[in-house]
Formats: sequence, C-alpha cells, structure tokens
Amino acid sequence: MDANKLIEKTTSFKVNGKQIELTLPPTYRLVDILRDSLSLTGTKVACEVGRCGACSVIMNGKLVNSCLIMAYQMEDAEIFTIESLSEERLHPIQEAFLQAGALQCGYCTPGMIIALKSLLDEEEQPSKEDVLTALSGNLCRCTGYEGILRAVDLLTKKRHETIGEGKE
Amino acid sequence: MVLDITSAGARWKIRRDGEPKVTGRLKYLTDMSFPQMLYGTVLRSEHPHAKIESIDTKEAEELPGVASVITYRDVPGLNGFGIVIQDQPVLCEDKVRYVGDAVAAVAAETKEIAQKAISLIKVKYTPLQPVTDPEEALRDTTIKLHKDGNLLHQAAFQKGERQIEKSFKDCAFIVEEIYHTPRQMHAYMETEGGVAVPGSDGGITVYAPTQHGFKDQLQLSRILSIPPEKIRIISSPIGGSFGGKDELNIQPYITILALKTKRPVKIHQSRRVSIKAGLKRHPMKIYMKTGTDTGGKLLAHQVKIFADTGAYATLGPAVLDFAVEHSAGPYRIENVDVKGYSIYTNNGVAGEFRGFGGNQITFALETQIERLAEKIGISSTEFRMKNLRQTEDPGPVEQPIVPTDGAKAVLTELIKSPILQKKTDLNAGMDWKLKGRGYSITMHGGGLGYGRPDPSGARLSLNEEGKLEVSFGFEECGQGLISTIDMIMTETFNCDTNDVEITIGDTAKVPHSGSSTASRATNMVWLGVNKLKAPFIEKVLAGAEKQTNVSSEKLSLGKNGIWIYEEEKEEKLLLTYKELASSMDELPSVTTSYHFPTTPQSIDGGHFLYTFAGVAVEVEVDLLTGRVAVTKMDHVISAGPVVNPMGYLGQIEGGANMGLGFTLMEDAAMENGRYMTENLDTYLIPTILDIPKETKVFAIEDLVSGDTYGPRGVGEIGTVAVAPAIVSAIHDATGMWLNKLPIQADTILKAVEQKILSR
Repeated sequence: MDANKLIEKTTSFKVNGKQIELTLPPTYRLVDILRDSLSLTGTKVACEVGRCGACSVIMNGKLVNSCLIMAYQMEDAEIFTIESLSEERLHPIQEAFLQAGALQCGYCTPGMIIALKSLLDEEEQPSKEDVLTALSGNLCRCTGYEGILRAVDLLTKKRHETIGEGKE
Repeated sequence: MVLDITSAGARWKIRRDGEPKVTGRLKYLTDMSFPQMLYGTVLRSEHPHAKIESIDTKEAEELPGVASVITYRDVPGLNGFGIVIQDQPVLCEDKVRYVGDAVAAVAAETKEIAQKAISLIKVKYTPLQPVTDPEEALRDTTIKLHKDGNLLHQAAFQKGERQIEKSFKDCAFIVEEIYHTPRQMHAYMETEGGVAVPGSDGGITVYAPTQHGFKDQLQLSRILSIPPEKIRIISSPIGGSFGGKDELNIQPYITILALKTKRPVKIHQSRRVSIKAGLKRHPMKIYMKTGTDTGGKLLAHQVKIFADTGAYATLGPAVLDFAVEHSAGPYRIENVDVKGYSIYTNNGVAGEFRGFGGNQITFALETQIERLAEKIGISSTEFRMKNLRQTEDPGPVEQPIVPTDGAKAVLTELIKSPILQKKTDLNAGMDWKLKGRGYSITMHGGGLGYGRPDPSGARLSLNEEGKLEVSFGFEECGQGLISTIDMIMTETFNCDTNDVEITIGDTAKVPHSGSSTASRATNMVWLGVNKLKAPFIEKVLAGAEKQTNVSSEKLSLGKNGIWIYEEEKEEKLLLTYKELASSMDELPSVTTSYHFPTTPQSIDGGHFLYTFAGVAVEVEVDLLTGRVAVTKMDHVISAGPVVNPMGYLGQIEGGANMGLGFTLMEDAAMENGRYMTENLDTYLIPTILDIPKETKVFAIEDLVSGDTYGPRGVGEIGTVAVAPAIVSAIHDATGMWLNKLPIQADTILKAVEQKILSR
C-alpha cells in the first residue's frame, strides 16, 4: 500500500457549536482530529486504548474516549471539548478544581473535568458512589485523587446551596 | 497540624498555573506544533538482546513523504547518553540490549507515513540469549553486556567493632528474610515527546519536558557536536515525570532529524513505546538478616541488595548508593554490614524514580522491624523507640548530619493516629473480610548527597515591566513549584502575587539551578531567595531613594511598590515598581550560586538534610477474592515549615497512592526480557476507586532550634513508607507476612487455604 494514497472522505460535524468539514481517512481518530487538525490541544492523549480518560469529550450528549472514535463515526456528530466550558468564564467545575487543589501536572485535568461534567449533566445530585464510578475511567498519577474528591465536595456543596436558594 | 484547606487558611492559594490547566489552554510542550513541521518515529529493537548484522533503510527513504531516515551513521557526535555515564546508544550500531533500544528514526510529512517508513526498514539481527536474572548476570560464565562486565556498581557500608557473623552469635532473636520489589512504572499521563526547531545559525531550540534543561543541553551538545550555547532547551511545563523524564528520551532523535531536514520535527511517543523504552523503578532483591539481644536492642544487621538496572546505567549507581545508605533507616544498630550490587541485564532500563531506592529498602527494613518485634514479643512501637536515632546522632552511614529529632517526633505523633487505637474489635460482624492496622516510619535524604555536584543558582531582578522577576533553572513537573516560588517571594518581600514574575524552564533565560529532583527544589528556592533578599532590597531601595529623596532607611518593599514608614504616620505607597523601573538607568539585578548543603565527611552519597515520615493504615483483606483494600491512611511528615500547603498536601496524597500502587497493583513484569504489559489496560495504577476512603496528613513544622536550612522538600517522602505499613496491617488482619511486592491476590488466597487446611 502506498501510504500517500490513503482513501479520504469528507466528514462534517460540529465541535463546540462550530460546523466543521474535513476531508480525512475514515479511520483517523477523533483525538487526532481535535489536536492536530483543529489545534484543540486541551483534549489530551495518553493511552490510546480508552483506559485513562485523558482524551474524554462529550459526543452527542455522551461521554466518550476520543481515542476510540474514528472519523467515519462522526458524521453529523456534535462534540464538546474542554475548550467549550470556559468560553465566557470558568465553569463551576473548573472553579472547584482550582479551589480544591484538584490538579498538579494538569494533564489528566481536562478529561477529568469533562467526565464530571457529563455526570452532572445527567444527575444533578449524584451520590458519592456515582461520582467514584463516573471518575473511575480517568487516571491521575499526580494528585492521588484526594484533591479531586475535595473539588467534588466543594462543587456539590455549592450546587446544593444554589438549588436550596432557588427553591426558597 | 492536620493539613487541610481550613488549617492552611489564607495560604491555601490557587496555583498560578491552575487556570490554564483547567481550561485546556496551557500548551504542554507535546501540544506544540510549528509550520512545516515533520513527524518523527523511532524504530525500536525487536529483541531484548541481539547482534545487528545489517540495517537497510533504502526502501524507507524512497517512500514518498519521507524527509529523512537516520541510523547510527547519522549521529554527528557522541553516540551515547546518560546523566552520569553515557553508555546508552542514541542509535545502536552493532548490538541491541533491550526491547526499547533505538535502531533508526524517521521524519516524514505525516505520522502515518513515518510509521509506514519504519516498517520498511530492514534490520538483520542475530538473537542472543538474554540475561534476565541479576544474580546470574554476575557469574563469570554469563555473557557480558558491556565491556567491563555486568556489574554496573557496587556499594558497601560497614559499622561496628565485631565481624558481622560474630555479632549474630550474641543475638537472642534473629530474623532472616528475602524481599522482592517490583518494576514500577512512572506512568505519567503525558508520554515523552517534544519538538525540535532548527535555527538559521546552525543552532536549535528544543521544546521537550525534562527535569534538568541544562543537563539536556550538555548531553545534546555532545551528541550533535555543536556548542551548548547554540542549543536552547525549553523544558516546562511537564505533564508528570516522577523521575522518568530526567534522562534524555526523544530529544536526540528530534534534534538530529531537525538539523538534517532543516525543518521542525515532532515526536510524541505512544504509550506502548513509552512503556517499552521508558525508565522504571529498579526491581530489587534484598537479603536481610537482623538480630537483637534479649531486651530488643538491635545488635546486628546484614543486608545484601541486588538491583536490576537493566540495559544501561542511567542513575543506577546513585539509586543503589541511596538504598545502601538507608538500609538501617532511622535506627541505631551496633553492627551493620551492607553490600549492594547494581547489575546490567537485558531487562528494561531502570533509573530515577520518586523515592530513589528508599522505597525498596524501607519496605524490607520496616517489615523486618515488625517481624522482630513479634518474635521478641514486645510491641513494635516499644521496639522502635528502644532503637530510634536521637537528635544529635550521626546519619545512617555514620556521617555528620544536621541535628534532627524528626524520627522521634514522627513516631510519637503517628502512634496517636485514630487508626492505630485498638479500642474496638475491627472484625466484629465480618464474615469473609478481615480488617487490620499497621504503620511504618522512614528517614529520607534530600539533595544528591556527598561527592555529587549539586549546585544551584538564582537571579532576582526588577524588570522593565516593574515586576520582581525571579529566575530559576527548575521545572514545573506538576508538583506546584511555581506556586511555591510565588509564596516564598510574596512572603519574603511582602509584595503581591501580581508583583512577581517567575521565569523557569528555559536555558536561554535562567541560571543553572541543578535538577528538579531529589526533593531539592523547594529547599533551593528558599535558600536562593534568602541569599538574594538583602542585596536586592539594598539595590532597589537605593534606586528609590535617588528617585524620591527619601532616605532608604524609611523605605521598604511592599504591595505594588515602595512604601514609606514614618513614625506616627500610616504606611503609604510612595512609588510603584513600574515607576521605579522606568526611572532607573540600570535595573537592579542580583544573582547567586550556592550548593545543596552536604555532610562534611567524605562518604559518597551520604546526605546532610533528611525528612521523616510515618504512615498508618487500615486495610480490609477479602478472604474470598484475596484482594486487599486500604480503607484509611494517616501520614505524619516532618519536613520543616510548610511553604505551600496545597502543594505539600498534593505531594503527600499523590505520593501515597503511588506507593499504594507499588504495594498492591503495579509490576511491569518481564519474561525473557520482554514486557508482559503494553499499556494501562494491563498495567494497572490506582483509580479513584482504589484509594482509601479517608486520608489525613499531619505536618510537623518544627525544626531543631538553630536550624538554618529552611523547609525540606516533600516530593518523594509520601511514597516511601506506604508498602511496609500495608504489609504490617495485612499481618495484623491475617497473621501472614508478605515479602514480595506487589501483593498478589493468589498469594493471600494460598495462605488462607493453607490455614483452613491445617485446622
């Protein structure tokens, strides 16, 4: 096979609300499209087998590992990456991560935040069990996870207050 | 003080580099790309040990889109690297010694073409028998992997009047065991990578994470055969390192390819390649025999350490020295005899890793202490207290050290941990699970140790923008060094975070500060700023006096600028730093260079400053699955004043769970010189579900009165004493002693089975 003559196909999809059209080999991975073709390097690449969660994005409302999604699966998809969370100001999850010291090297952080956002989008008041399960697909080698749990505590406390206030 | 958000108060400060990290805006060096950039790939060996008969790159070169293919013939200078010993070939010529050995590299227009080109390179190998057992490697009949044989380094320490064998004759109680520790992987989330950009003057800029930019510069200068001044290394931020990115990794390949093609070249290694080629923690086999008199006084301690350093040296000698030094830990033992061997094999390369040999030896020593206490029939706390070092005692290799009561302070505090209070029966109502509790302590040297150049440097300037600019050659590996520098600066000069500019990680802009390693950076930053404080203030205030005609004695540095103090008048801001900077003809700048404090006695590798730590754990052993869960963990750390509470806590918590992985999960197992694991789906590191439900960190900040050495680093200490604490707690739960890490479920099940059968 001549490496130069890979079959290419035009795929259109939305990333962070923006319509994108790219001509690519159908087996090109979403993580590479984001990082290399669209320069959205907030999505990280670390294991490439769907184990570490560093490349987590939200696709059609579901949390996915972008290393496991290929271009041919992306036609008309709607994708949100870490960059979408702070277009105007920091998302409360991001605020909580900063306050709690939930990051060190920061390489797992975008994926961790996206995974947490996906959980909170689905469940406003998740149990501790839910949180642990939801984040168990995201590896962090620096924090030992205690900081991340502190961030979740801060966040749920805040959400609780906000929801409480709303009811009054 | 229990360290948490509340107790830290106002000093719980949001990291300066936090926002770019949580938004994904921060460009790690592996995120960078440049116009006209090529993608590089390295061809790694197919064999753990083989002769290279020939390398044919013709077909790869002819593939459209390939810009360059390089082999050993294309290395312009020294075909070797290594921080101390340059025995690792950049590109192998006649022999490969491990599965990660580089044989050729390619630069191409796309990653796919580069990958394809690699598959077209034909290397003819004659496989050789791999040497995989360190003890066997030392036999005369074993094939020699390097010209001087298979022994990389040996180290020894003897103490005592009597020969060790004779002193064992005086012992009433003796424990003799063999301990095994695993080949742990750093598993930083960001794999090795970077971009090299050639300059028009024949020089090159390298954007690649490393723990010591200047050392990379020196090594690349030898390899590329161009002067160091022409090589600029940009080395921070780093997506995790833990020691694993201190050595060169992809830098030689991207630089050679970039200089050849005159285009930027990027390599970002896949996890599979990272596992194959990257450093690991030295697996060690430790023979340990320890004896006491009838009362429990330690009389004799004999240790033999066999460390598997793999194919190349890297920091193998220093890691072994560290293990030898810490063999007796914080205990005073009359007769000590330690011998250590660091041995070349065809296994993966082992090198620097958080804890630096301390983790392995502490596991053996502390388990030995617990076993002995059991044998004597006294509590392990009483046993430790009886033999613990005192404030003025020399260091573990009898070298003079800074007086410290850290060992006693840690032990005294640790045994108060609620985890260790045996008021309740932990196992009431448990059917197939058993709970247990245990603890361990450790003593850990900071800095590189006697006989190793360990210099540091710092620069402090008022820059044109009116910022107090502080520059160090240290790196932000994630540990929070930027925040630590920020806090030392704002507290020293009473200024605001916004007044401080921090420059690190760029050889073109910073002084040599040595490596961000050996828990040394915090200590060196504190020392540097304190050295520069007086001369800097003097220069700045002299400038302010000139500008305002107010005597410098009435002036001081503060928030936003220079403040005036006058009796009975309130303080007020007289001049902003910006105004001062624009008024001065010559901006004040002071530099200093200094050395990490070392012991005066010539004992190679002997340390001078130590930190102390203790860990108490509660575990739950599942008798049906053989799984061990650590349910609670308390840490007591004695490392002097806490500079950066968020960073301190993060280092201990993160280190602790890395230690938990070392104890219960992690081993990059090898068979015949090949890794049995290729990725994070089979090499398991702790997830959020694997960590204790409760973790507390207690910081002892007091130092012995008169201590002028400031805060010690805590980058490593959190990992060191975790394993023996867990092993001791498993013993408390089940009655079994375990000598091999990581603890396998089937080992526990077998022991349970035997116990049931013997009933």
